[in-house]
Amino acid sequence: MPQSTQIFFILLAFFTLFSALCVVLFRSLIYSALSMIGSFLGVAGIYILLHAELVAAAQVLIYVGAISVLVIFAIMLTRQRSGDISLFFHKQAWVALPPVIVAAIVVVAVLATAGYNATTEMQNPVDEEIAALLFNEYTFPFELVSLALLVAVMGAILLAKREKKE
Amino acid sequence: MTPLQQYLALAGALFFIGAWGILARRNLIMIIMCVELMLNAINISLVAFSNYSPTGNGRGEVFVFVIFALAAAEAAIGLAVAIAMYRLREKLAVDELDEMKG
Repeated sequence: MPQSTQIFFILLAFFTLFSALCVVLFRSLIYSALSMIGSFLGVAGIYILLHAELVAAAQVLIYVGAISVLVIFAIMLTRQRSGDISLFFHKQAWVALPPVIVAAIVVVAVLATAGYNATTEMQNPVDEEIAALLFNEYTFPFELVSLALLVAVMGAILLAKREKKE
Repeated sequence: MTPLQQYLALAGALFFIGAWGILARRNLIMIIMCVELMLNAINISLVAFSNYSPTGNGRGEVFVFVIFALAAAEAAIGLAVAIAMYRLREKLAVDELDEMKG
């Protein structure tokens, strides 16, 4: 990795992880949602460092644009009692921390000892090749996913629709 | 530490921050947000593997697009369930929603 890429990676990684920690630690749901947007933007930067510009653009469009707005709308529609928002840091958070840390240590140990010695960067192909892959070789999964998305959106409308008063 | 391992370490850290959020927070919307964080971690690892794979043909990115669409579907369904639950019970704390307890 060249020096400049290394510096950008470290900056973006710290920004992403800091925002992700803020998501978990903020008391207010709306602050958590805003730091979630920051984390998504950091991940988009990571994609650009990995030569995946199409994925970065889709990340900004779908996560930053659509999913964050969806989450913020859901927070607005479910305005909660003040007691509910700060349901945080009881025993539960501290009981949850040790298993997660143990699992993280195991994963890091496996990563550090695994034989991923691919130092040469085989760059991700340009966007035209991704499009060709998506629409030639993987047409059927692509269409299947669009069908799943359609069904999910219809189900979401059905679930969230207000019941007719009899 | 090779560059690939750096990206994988970032993905692992993000994944476990999300996992901690799921276990620690009790609000349904908060849990959905943490699931999105974990999916992002998976996407980072897929794109990194795609970038450093010996054949270098970008198939990891195709997986990522599929995950994008399914994450959007999951968020839509999850938030609709949260709104319906709020309308029904006026609360979203997952440990208070125990109507199906026998």
